[in-house]
Amino acid sequence: MREILSMIIVLSAICSASGFALSYLKQTSAPLIEAQVLTYVQGPAIASVYPAAENDPVAERQPFNTPDGRRVMVFPYKQGGKLLGVALENKAGGFGGDVNVMVGFNLGNDSLLGIGITEMKETPGLGTKVAEPKFTKQFIGASAAVELSARGGKVDSVSGATISSAAVIGAVKAADQDYQALKAQILQTWQ
Amino acid sequence: MASMWKEFSKGLWNEIPPFRLVLGLCPTLAVTKSADNGLGMGLAVIFVLVLSNAFISAVRKIIPKKVRIVCFIAISATLVVAVELLMQAFAYPLYQQLGIFVPLIVVNCIILGRAEAFAAKNPVHLSIADGLGIGVGYTLALTLVGALREMLGTGMLFGKYIMWESFQPFKIMVEAPGAFLALGSLLGLMNCITIIQARKRGDELPVNLTSGCGGACCNPEK
Repeated sequence: MREILSMIIVLSAICSASGFALSYLKQTSAPLIEAQVLTYVQGPAIASVYPAAENDPVAERQPFNTPDGRRVMVFPYKQGGKLLGVALENKAGGFGGDVNVMVGFNLGNDSLLGIGITEMKETPGLGTKVAEPKFTKQFIGASAAVELSARGGKVDSVSGATISSAAVIGAVKAADQDYQALKAQILQTWQ
Repeated sequence: MASMWKEFSKGLWNEIPPFRLVLGLCPTLAVTKSADNGLGMGLAVIFVLVLSNAFISAVRKIIPKKVRIVCFIAISATLVVAVELLMQAFAYPLYQQLGIFVPLIVVNCIILGRAEAFAAKNPVHLSIADGLGIGVGYTLALTLVGALREMLGTGMLFGKYIMWESFQPFKIMVEAPGAFLALGSLLGLMNCITIIQARKRGDELPVNLTSGCGGACCNPEK
Protein backbone atom coordinates (compact mmCIF):
# COMPACT_ATOMS: atom_id res chain seq x y z
CA MET A 1 0.00 0.00 0.00
CA ARG A 2 2.70 2.48 0.95
CA GLU A 3 4.58 1.59 -2.20
CA ILE A 4 1.60 2.21 -4.44
CA LEU A 5 0.92 5.52 -2.72
CA SER A 6 4.48 6.68 -3.15
CA MET A 7 4.42 5.70 -6.83
CA ILE A 8 1.22 7.68 -7.38
CA ILE A 9 2.47 10.70 -5.50
CA VAL A 10 5.90 10.86 -7.12
CA LEU A 11 4.58 10.36 -10.64
CA SER A 12 1.79 12.91 -10.23
CA ALA A 13 4.22 15.41 -8.75
CA ILE A 14 6.67 15.02 -11.63
CA CYS A 15 3.95 15.19 -14.27
CA SER A 16 2.19 18.21 -12.81
CA ALA A 17 5.49 20.04 -12.36
CA SER A 18 6.35 19.45 -16.00
CA GLY A 19 2.84 20.42 -17.06
CA PHE A 20 3.07 23.75 -15.29
CA ALA A 21 6.59 24.43 -16.53
CA LEU A 22 5.63 23.72 -20.13
CA SER A 23 2.43 25.76 -20.12
CA TYR A 24 4.38 28.69 -18.71
CA LEU A 25 7.06 28.30 -21.38
CA LYS A 26 4.44 27.93 -24.10
CA GLN A 27 2.76 31.16 -23.08
CA THR A 28 5.95 33.17 -22.80
CA SER A 29 7.35 31.90 -26.08
CA ALA A 30 4.15 32.25 -28.14
CA PRO A 31 4.70 35.87 -29.28
CA LEU A 32 8.36 35.17 -30.08
CA ILE A 33 7.42 32.11 -32.14
CA GLU A 34 4.74 34.05 -34.01
CA ALA A 35 7.30 36.73 -34.91
CA GLN A 36 9.76 34.06 -36.10
CA VAL A 37 7.15 32.33 -38.22
CA LEU A 38 6.17 35.65 -39.80
CA THR A 39 9.81 36.43 -40.57
CA TYR A 40 10.81 33.06 -41.97
CA VAL A 41 7.59 31.63 -43.43
CA GLN A 42 5.30 34.52 -44.37
CA GLY A 43 8.03 37.15 -44.85
CA PRO A 44 9.68 35.70 -47.97
CA ALA A 45 6.28 34.90 -49.53
CA ILE A 46 5.11 38.47 -48.98
CA ALA A 47 8.35 39.84 -50.41
CA SER A 48 7.76 37.77 -53.55
CA VAL A 49 4.14 38.95 -53.76
CA TYR A 50 5.05 42.63 -53.74
CA PRO A 51 8.75 43.30 -54.03
CA ALA A 52 8.16 47.05 -54.53
CA ALA A 53 6.51 47.67 -51.15
CA GLU A 54 7.74 50.81 -49.41
CA ASN A 55 6.27 49.90 -46.03
CA ASP A 56 6.91 46.89 -43.81
CA PRO A 57 3.91 44.61 -44.47
CA VAL A 58 4.81 42.21 -41.65
CA ALA A 59 5.09 44.93 -39.02
CA GLU A 60 1.83 46.63 -40.13
CA ARG A 61 -0.24 43.46 -40.28
CA GLN A 62 -3.77 43.47 -38.83
CA PRO A 63 -6.02 40.58 -37.85
CA PHE A 64 -9.55 40.54 -39.27
CA ASN A 65 -12.52 38.30 -38.52
CA THR A 66 -14.29 36.72 -41.46
CA PRO A 67 -18.10 36.41 -41.42
CA ASP A 68 -17.73 32.67 -40.72
CA GLY A 69 -15.70 33.41 -37.60
CA ARG A 70 -12.09 32.73 -38.64
CA ARG A 71 -9.23 35.08 -37.87
CA VAL A 72 -7.29 36.15 -40.95
CA MET A 73 -4.04 38.11 -40.87
CA VAL A 74 -3.94 40.81 -43.55
CA PHE A 75 -0.68 42.37 -44.73
CA PRO A 76 -0.97 45.85 -46.30
CA TYR A 77 1.07 46.96 -49.34
CA LYS A 78 1.73 50.67 -49.57
CA GLN A 79 3.59 52.90 -51.96
CA GLY A 80 4.04 56.60 -51.23
CA GLY A 81 1.89 56.21 -48.12
CA LYS A 82 -1.08 55.01 -50.16
CA LEU A 83 -2.60 51.57 -49.71
CA LEU A 84 -2.38 49.79 -53.06
CA GLY A 85 -3.03 46.22 -52.13
CA VAL A 86 -3.29 43.62 -49.40
CA ALA A 87 -2.04 40.09 -49.00
CA LEU A 88 -3.71 37.32 -47.08
CA GLU A 89 -3.08 33.66 -46.66
CA ASN A 90 -5.33 30.69 -47.20
CA LYS A 91 -4.91 27.01 -47.89
CA ALA A 92 -6.31 24.09 -49.85
CA GLY A 93 -5.69 20.36 -49.70
CA GLY A 94 -2.87 19.17 -51.94
CA PHE A 95 -1.18 15.84 -52.52
CA GLY A 96 0.64 15.54 -49.18
CA GLY A 97 -1.41 17.86 -46.99
CA ASP A 98 -2.49 21.48 -47.04
CA VAL A 99 -0.80 23.93 -49.38
CA ASN A 100 -0.67 27.39 -47.80
CA VAL A 101 -0.56 30.28 -50.23
CA MET A 102 -0.05 33.99 -49.60
CA VAL A 103 -2.15 35.86 -52.15
CA GLY A 104 -1.74 39.55 -52.96
CA PHE A 105 -4.76 41.52 -54.23
CA ASN A 106 -4.74 44.81 -56.10
CA LEU A 107 -7.30 47.02 -54.33
CA GLY A 108 -7.82 49.08 -57.51
CA ASN A 109 -9.28 46.38 -59.74
CA ASP A 110 -9.43 43.29 -57.49
CA SER A 111 -6.90 41.44 -59.66
CA LEU A 112 -4.01 39.42 -58.24
CA LEU A 113 -0.68 41.08 -57.44
CA GLY A 114 0.99 37.71 -57.19
CA ILE A 115 1.23 34.66 -54.97
CA GLY A 116 3.84 33.03 -52.79
CA ILE A 117 3.75 29.54 -51.26
CA THR A 118 4.31 29.62 -47.50
CA GLU A 119 3.95 26.01 -46.39
CA MET A 120 3.43 22.69 -48.16
CA LYS A 121 4.22 19.01 -47.86
CA GLU A 122 4.10 18.15 -51.56
CA THR A 123 6.42 15.60 -53.20
CA PRO A 124 9.96 17.08 -53.35
CA GLY A 125 11.06 17.83 -56.89
CA LEU A 126 7.58 17.36 -58.32
CA GLY A 127 4.76 18.96 -56.37
CA THR A 128 7.18 21.45 -54.80
CA LYS A 129 7.67 22.98 -58.26
CA VAL A 130 4.46 24.96 -57.68
CA ALA A 131 6.58 27.28 -55.52
CA GLU A 132 8.91 28.11 -58.41
CA PRO A 133 8.56 31.41 -60.32
CA LYS A 134 7.78 29.53 -63.55
CA PHE A 135 4.43 28.53 -62.05
CA THR A 136 3.72 31.42 -59.66
CA LYS A 137 4.42 34.20 -62.18
CA GLN A 138 1.32 33.15 -64.13
CA PHE A 139 -0.77 34.66 -61.33
CA ILE A 140 0.77 38.14 -61.51
CA GLY A 141 -1.88 40.53 -62.80
CA ALA A 142 -4.38 37.72 -63.42
CA SER A 143 -8.02 38.13 -62.51
CA ALA A 144 -8.96 36.52 -59.21
CA ALA A 145 -11.17 33.96 -60.99
CA VAL A 146 -8.18 31.75 -61.87
CA GLU A 147 -8.52 28.25 -63.25
CA LEU A 148 -6.15 25.62 -64.63
CA SER A 149 -5.87 25.48 -68.42
CA ALA A 150 -7.10 21.88 -68.30
CA ARG A 151 -10.38 23.25 -66.95
CA GLY A 152 -10.64 26.11 -69.43
CA GLY A 153 -8.56 28.67 -67.52
CA LYS A 154 -5.25 30.34 -68.23
CA VAL A 155 -2.92 28.78 -65.67
CA ASP A 156 -0.72 25.94 -66.94
CA SER A 157 -0.33 23.33 -64.23
CA VAL A 158 3.08 21.89 -63.35
CA SER A 159 3.32 18.74 -65.44
CA GLY A 160 2.99 15.65 -63.28
CA ALA A 161 1.71 17.70 -60.35
CA THR A 162 -1.89 18.50 -61.26
CA ILE A 163 -3.16 17.94 -57.72
CA SER A 164 -0.58 20.32 -56.25
CA SER A 165 -1.36 22.90 -58.94
CA ALA A 166 -5.09 22.58 -58.30
CA ALA A 167 -4.43 23.04 -54.57
CA VAL A 168 -2.74 26.38 -55.28
CA ILE A 169 -5.75 27.44 -57.39
CA GLY A 170 -8.07 26.34 -54.58
CA ALA A 171 -6.10 28.31 -52.02
CA VAL A 172 -6.17 31.42 -54.24
CA LYS A 173 -9.94 31.12 -54.61
CA ALA A 174 -10.39 30.65 -50.86
CA ALA A 175 -8.22 33.72 -50.23
CA ASP A 176 -10.31 35.65 -52.78
CA GLN A 177 -13.49 34.80 -50.86
CA ASP A 178 -11.94 36.13 -47.66
CA TYR A 179 -10.75 39.20 -49.53
CA GLN A 180 -14.22 39.95 -50.94
CA ALA A 181 -15.77 39.51 -47.51
CA LEU A 182 -13.22 41.70 -45.77
CA LYS A 183 -12.60 44.38 -48.40
CA ALA A 184 -14.88 46.97 -46.81
CA GLN A 185 -13.30 46.49 -43.38
CA ILE A 186 -9.80 46.60 -44.87
CA LEU A 187 -10.48 49.92 -46.63
CA GLN A 188 -11.90 51.36 -43.41
CA THR A 189 -8.89 50.30 -41.36
CA TRP A 190 -6.14 51.73 -43.52
CA GLN A 191 -7.75 54.72 -45.25
CA MET B 1 37.28 17.35 -9.71
CA ALA B 2 39.34 14.49 -11.13
CA SER B 3 36.33 12.18 -11.15
CA MET B 4 34.23 14.81 -12.91
CA TRP B 5 36.89 15.11 -15.62
CA LYS B 6 36.95 11.33 -15.92
CA GLU B 7 33.18 11.18 -16.44
CA PHE B 8 33.31 14.08 -18.91
CA SER B 9 36.21 12.82 -21.00
CA LYS B 10 34.91 9.28 -21.45
CA GLY B 11 32.16 10.67 -23.69
CA LEU B 12 34.73 12.17 -26.05
CA TRP B 13 36.47 8.96 -27.11
CA ASN B 14 35.91 5.78 -25.12
CA GLU B 15 32.13 6.02 -25.08
CA ILE B 16 31.48 8.51 -27.90
CA PRO B 17 27.80 7.77 -28.54
CA PRO B 18 27.25 7.01 -32.25
CA PHE B 19 30.64 5.35 -32.77
CA ARG B 20 31.20 3.41 -29.55
CA LEU B 21 27.86 3.06 -27.82
CA VAL B 22 26.24 2.93 -31.30
CA LEU B 23 23.22 4.67 -29.83
CA GLY B 24 21.17 7.53 -31.22
CA LEU B 25 21.76 6.48 -34.80
CA CYS B 26 18.45 7.69 -36.18
CA PRO B 27 19.28 11.40 -35.91
CA THR B 28 22.91 10.64 -36.74
CA LEU B 29 21.81 9.30 -40.10
CA ALA B 30 18.91 11.61 -40.76
CA VAL B 31 19.93 15.15 -39.87
CA THR B 32 23.61 15.21 -40.86
CA LYS B 33 23.09 16.60 -44.36
CA SER B 34 25.26 19.53 -43.37
CA ALA B 35 27.67 20.37 -40.58
CA ASP B 36 25.30 23.12 -39.40
CA ASN B 37 22.42 20.70 -38.89
CA GLY B 38 24.64 18.21 -37.07
CA LEU B 39 25.89 20.92 -34.74
CA GLY B 40 22.38 22.24 -34.06
CA MET B 41 21.02 18.77 -33.31
CA GLY B 42 24.02 18.07 -31.07
CA LEU B 43 23.45 21.28 -29.10
CA ALA B 44 19.79 20.36 -28.59
CA VAL B 45 20.85 16.94 -27.32
CA ILE B 46 23.45 18.47 -24.95
CA PHE B 47 20.76 20.72 -23.48
CA VAL B 48 18.31 17.86 -22.94
CA LEU B 49 20.92 15.37 -21.77
CA VAL B 50 22.63 17.61 -19.20
CA LEU B 51 19.36 18.82 -17.70
CA SER B 52 17.69 15.41 -17.71
CA ASN B 53 20.74 13.85 -16.06
CA ALA B 54 20.78 16.62 -13.47
CA PHE B 55 17.05 16.38 -12.67
CA ILE B 56 16.97 12.61 -12.61
CA SER B 57 20.04 12.43 -10.44
CA ALA B 58 18.54 14.99 -8.06
CA VAL B 59 15.31 13.06 -7.60
CA ARG B 60 16.82 9.56 -7.89
CA LYS B 61 16.29 8.77 -4.21
CA ILE B 62 12.56 9.52 -4.19
CA ILE B 63 11.65 7.78 -7.45
CA PRO B 64 10.14 4.36 -6.72
CA LYS B 65 12.02 1.62 -8.63
CA LYS B 66 8.90 0.30 -10.34
CA VAL B 67 7.96 3.55 -12.08
CA ARG B 68 11.45 4.88 -12.69
CA ILE B 69 11.34 4.55 -16.51
CA VAL B 70 8.06 6.49 -16.69
CA CYS B 71 9.56 9.20 -14.50
CA PHE B 72 12.70 9.40 -16.65
CA ILE B 73 10.62 9.66 -19.82
CA ALA B 74 8.35 12.32 -18.30
CA ILE B 75 11.36 14.42 -17.34
CA SER B 76 13.15 14.08 -20.66
CA ALA B 77 9.92 14.64 -22.64
CA THR B 78 9.37 17.90 -20.77
CA LEU B 79 12.88 19.04 -21.62
CA VAL B 80 12.48 18.07 -25.27
CA VAL B 81 9.27 20.07 -25.62
CA ALA B 82 11.06 22.97 -23.95
CA VAL B 83 13.94 22.72 -26.40
CA GLU B 84 11.49 22.57 -29.31
CA LEU B 85 9.71 25.72 -28.16
CA LEU B 86 12.99 27.54 -27.55
CA MET B 87 14.30 26.51 -30.95
CA GLN B 88 11.14 27.81 -32.61
CA ALA B 89 11.41 31.06 -30.70
CA PHE B 90 15.11 31.76 -31.28
CA ALA B 91 16.38 29.64 -34.18
CA TYR B 92 13.45 29.09 -36.52
CA PRO B 93 15.51 28.21 -39.64
CA LEU B 94 17.25 25.45 -37.68
CA TYR B 95 13.84 24.19 -36.50
CA GLN B 96 12.66 24.09 -40.13
CA GLN B 97 15.72 22.02 -41.06
CA LEU B 98 15.56 19.55 -38.17
CA GLY B 99 11.78 19.24 -38.21
CA ILE B 100 10.48 16.02 -36.70
CA PHE B 101 13.87 15.01 -35.29
CA VAL B 102 13.68 17.54 -32.47
CA PRO B 103 10.59 15.97 -30.82
CA LEU B 104 12.16 12.59 -31.51
CA ILE B 105 15.06 13.38 -29.17
CA VAL B 106 12.80 12.03 -26.46
CA VAL B 107 13.05 8.51 -27.85
CA ASN B 108 16.78 8.89 -28.47
CA CYS B 109 18.32 5.97 -26.60
CA ILE B 110 21.17 8.11 -25.34
CA ILE B 111 18.89 10.14 -23.10
CA LEU B 112 17.18 7.19 -21.45
CA GLY B 113 20.40 5.17 -21.56
CA ARG B 114 22.38 7.74 -19.59
CA ALA B 115 19.47 8.28 -17.19
CA GLU B 116 19.19 4.58 -16.40
CA ALA B 117 22.87 3.66 -16.56
CA PHE B 118 24.40 6.69 -14.90
CA ALA B 119 22.17 9.43 -13.49
CA ALA B 120 20.01 7.02 -11.49
CA LYS B 121 23.07 5.78 -9.60
CA ASN B 122 25.36 8.78 -9.25
CA PRO B 123 25.35 12.20 -7.56
CA VAL B 124 24.30 15.35 -9.42
CA HIS B 125 27.71 16.80 -10.23
CA LEU B 126 28.97 13.56 -11.76
CA SER B 127 25.74 13.16 -13.72
CA ILE B 128 26.10 16.64 -15.16
CA ALA B 129 29.70 15.87 -16.16
CA ASP B 130 28.57 12.62 -17.73
CA GLY B 131 25.73 14.29 -19.65
CA LEU B 132 28.01 17.06 -20.81
CA GLY B 133 30.70 14.63 -21.94
CA ILE B 134 28.36 12.31 -23.81
CA GLY B 135 26.52 15.32 -25.27
CA VAL B 136 29.71 17.00 -26.46
CA GLY B 137 30.92 13.70 -27.90
CA TYR B 138 27.61 13.28 -29.71
CA THR B 139 27.79 16.83 -31.04
CA LEU B 140 31.35 16.32 -32.27
CA ALA B 141 30.36 13.09 -33.97
CA LEU B 142 27.29 14.60 -35.65
CA THR B 143 29.24 17.65 -36.77
CA LEU B 144 32.00 15.43 -38.15
CA VAL B 145 29.57 13.21 -40.07
CA GLY B 146 27.71 16.31 -41.27
CA ALA B 147 30.93 18.05 -42.33
CA LEU B 148 32.12 15.00 -44.23
CA ARG B 149 28.82 14.60 -46.05
CA GLU B 150 28.46 18.30 -46.80
CA MET B 151 32.06 18.55 -48.03
CA LEU B 152 31.81 15.56 -50.37
CA GLY B 153 28.18 16.07 -51.33
CA THR B 154 28.15 19.80 -52.05
CA GLY B 155 31.76 20.96 -51.78
CA MET B 156 30.83 23.29 -48.93
CA LEU B 157 31.55 23.42 -45.22
CA PHE B 158 29.22 25.37 -42.89
CA GLY B 159 27.71 26.90 -46.05
CA LYS B 160 31.03 28.18 -47.48
CA TYR B 161 32.58 26.69 -50.61
CA ILE B 162 35.93 25.12 -49.73
CA MET B 163 36.77 22.55 -52.41
CA TRP B 164 38.83 23.23 -55.53
CA GLU B 165 37.08 24.63 -58.57
CA SER B 166 36.78 21.55 -60.78
CA PHE B 167 35.48 19.47 -57.84
CA GLN B 168 32.44 17.43 -58.82
CA PRO B 169 30.23 16.89 -55.77
CA PHE B 170 29.16 13.34 -54.94
CA LYS B 171 25.43 13.97 -54.79
CA ILE B 172 24.89 10.63 -53.07
CA MET B 173 26.62 11.86 -49.91
CA VAL B 174 23.81 14.30 -49.07
CA GLU B 175 21.15 11.69 -49.86
CA ALA B 176 20.12 8.94 -47.45
CA PRO B 177 22.73 6.33 -48.56
CA GLY B 178 25.52 8.85 -47.99
CA ALA B 179 24.69 8.82 -44.29
CA PHE B 180 25.41 5.09 -44.11
CA LEU B 181 28.59 5.45 -46.16
CA ALA B 182 29.91 8.27 -43.98
CA LEU B 183 28.96 6.66 -40.65
CA GLY B 184 30.29 3.26 -41.70
CA SER B 185 33.64 4.65 -42.86
CA LEU B 186 34.06 6.66 -39.67
CA LEU B 187 33.18 3.64 -37.51
CA GLY B 188 35.74 1.57 -39.39
CA LEU B 189 38.37 4.27 -39.06
CA MET B 190 37.80 4.54 -35.31
CA ASN B 191 38.10 0.79 -34.89
CA CYS B 192 41.37 0.79 -36.87
CA ILE B 193 42.80 3.50 -34.63
CA THR B 194 41.78 1.60 -31.52
CA ILE B 195 43.41 -1.60 -32.80
CA ILE B 196 46.65 0.18 -33.71
CA GLN B 197 46.75 1.80 -30.29
CA ALA B 198 46.13 -1.51 -28.59
CA ARG B 199 48.93 -3.17 -30.61
CA LYS B 200 51.38 -0.42 -29.69
CA ARG B 201 50.68 -0.88 -26.04
CA GLY B 202 50.93 -4.62 -26.53
CA ASP B 203 47.48 -5.17 -25.07
CA GLU B 204 45.09 -7.89 -26.04
CA LEU B 205 43.00 -6.83 -29.02
CA PRO B 206 39.56 -5.82 -27.84
CA VAL B 207 37.21 -8.45 -29.21
CA ASN B 208 34.01 -6.46 -29.21
CA LEU B 209 34.86 -2.88 -30.07
CA THR B 210 31.33 -1.75 -30.51
CA SER B 211 28.24 -3.46 -29.28
CA GLY B 212 27.61 -4.74 -32.79
CA CYS B 213 29.80 -6.40 -35.41
CA GLY B 214 32.24 -3.49 -35.67
CA GLY B 215 35.37 -5.37 -34.66
CA ALA B 216 35.43 -7.92 -37.43
CA CYS B 217 35.40 -5.41 -40.26
CA CYS B 218 38.76 -3.79 -39.70
CA ASN B 219 41.26 -6.58 -38.95
CA PRO B 220 40.79 -9.24 -41.63
CA GLU B 221 44.44 -10.42 -41.79
CA LYS B 222 46.07 -10.82 -38.43
